[in-house]
Amino acid sequence: MTISTMFSTMLVGMLRSFAVFMLTLVGSLPLGMVVALLKKSRFGLVRVLVNAYISVIRGTPLMLQLLVWYFGPFYLFGMNIGNWRFPALILGFVVNYAAYFAEIYRGGIESIPVGQYEAAEVLGYSKVQTFMRIILPQVIKRIMPSVTNEVITLVKDTSLAFTLAYQEVFSLAKQISASQTSFMPFVIAGVFYFVANYVVEFVMGRIEKALDYYK
Amino acid sequence: MILQMTNIEKHFGDLEVLKDISFEVDKGEVVSIIGPSGSGKSTLLRCATFLETIDGGEITYMGEKAAHTGSDGTTVYVPADRLRHFRSYCGLVFQQFNLFPHYSILKNLIDAPIHVQGRSKEEATTTAMELLDKMGIADRADAYPYQLSGGQQQRVAIARALAMKPEILFFDEPTSALDPELTGEVLKVIRQLAEEHMTMVVVTHEMPFAKAVSNRVLFMDGGVVVEQGDPIEVFEHPREERTKQFLQVFER
Ligand SMILES: Nc1ncnc2c1ncn2[C@@H]1O[C@H](COP(=O)(O)OP(=O)(O)OP(=O)(O)O)[C@@H](O)[C@H]1O
Ligand SMILES: [Mg+2]
Repeated sequence: MTISTMFSTMLVGMLRSFAVFMLTLVGSLPLGMVVALLKKSRFGLVRVLVNAYISVIRGTPLMLQLLVWYFGPFYLFGMNIGNWRFPALILGFVVNYAAYFAEIYRGGIESIPVGQYEAAEVLGYSKVQTFMRIILPQVIKRIMPSVTNEVITLVKDTSLAFTLAYQEVFSLAKQISASQTSFMPFVIAGVFYFVANYVVEFVMGRIEKALDYYK
Repeated sequence: MILQMTNIEKHFGDLEVLKDISFEVDKGEVVSIIGPSGSGKSTLLRCATFLETIDGGEITYMGEKAAHTGSDGTTVYVPADRLRHFRSYCGLVFQQFNLFPHYSILKNLIDAPIHVQGRSKEEATTTAMELLDKMGIADRADAYPYQLSGGQQQRVAIARALAMKPEILFFDEPTSALDPELTGEVLKVIRQLAEEHMTMVVVTHEMPFAKAVSNRVLFMDGGVVVEQGDPIEVFEHPREERTKQFLQVFER
């Protein structure tokens, strides 16, 4: 097998890794905000549940969580869901990353001085307006470095999708390497992750720059 | 009468911060509030501007009751939508300015008029530019707060409050966070507003300013109004011993 055939065989894996990456971001970035806000809920029970969710997610390996999402419905509820592999995978990733993003958001929200809320309140902004117009834009700027870190971790974590026998780039690399007795597929996979993260850093850097107009 | 606060009580846990405070502010009046640290001056302003809720007493704006204590001893505020209406009567200028750092100076002034009061962008911008002009910072309309000196930021904060066209403007130590050489420019605009008969309540440690500009001075200590009256009277012939002692510290 030539390098270019290896590459084109692995291309589909790259697309699959990218799909996991994008779907996880699209799901977990907003879900994390919901979780962060629920954590400040008026209702004690909601706060307890959210805190439990965050500690379980952070305290167990993502790989284990993926297995639970995949096998859980059958072993826990005797359900047999058709085509469950991919939804389970994305759910596992989204629910996991939402917990981490929630903590980042919470830190960001808490770092905004109380004077910002008070100024908005006296000016008559509603609670929603205060959050959307005054607080959130400042939070986004403050959390960009932590979000970048998390997104870079996600790029690498997509390889955990192999747990559910999802043929992403790393699984393919292992298979091709074994069948061809070649180290090359790993080099290709490595370059793929590196380039992907390079793009992430570039894009996030651009966003940070765009938010640099104020301090 | 713009504001009437009657028998106001406020406590934080066991700490009684305001004990039966009553005072009123007439249209066009400038009232200074002086007093030692911890006497409850900020808390009083925060109750008047609805940042804190009172535990007893009555708050009346323009003859309309915003909060009162019923016969059963519980204090009730008007419903939230009515409270917004009361909020629109008052503006507050903070010691720490609290400008919105992500908004330009102009946007700091027009955002609430547009999105809270529903005014048109053109009208809000015209009003804002007039105010900035008056504050002597019209040329900084496109700058961001961090690019301005403390004195300029506080003048923007005053303009932001005025852009809402409040009936009464409260100041909580507007110059305490400023370097001494910058206090003058802020006091000057407050003095200018006083000349235009803007109704104002100013918590301040600037005694000469309070004496020169206000129509009335309130001396607070330990959560009560110890003495109030004409500034010349209070500053030169204080009746209460506590007032004398407090003012002596500022003599030299
Ligand atoms: N949110 C709060 N929780 C608990 N105690 C508070 C709170 N706000 C104020 N206090 C207490 O209430 C008392 C009065 O505080 P306040 O800020 O009104 O005083 P002040 O007259 O404005 O003083 P200063 O001149 O230092 O600004 C102080 O003892 C303060 O510690
Ligand atoms: Mg104070």
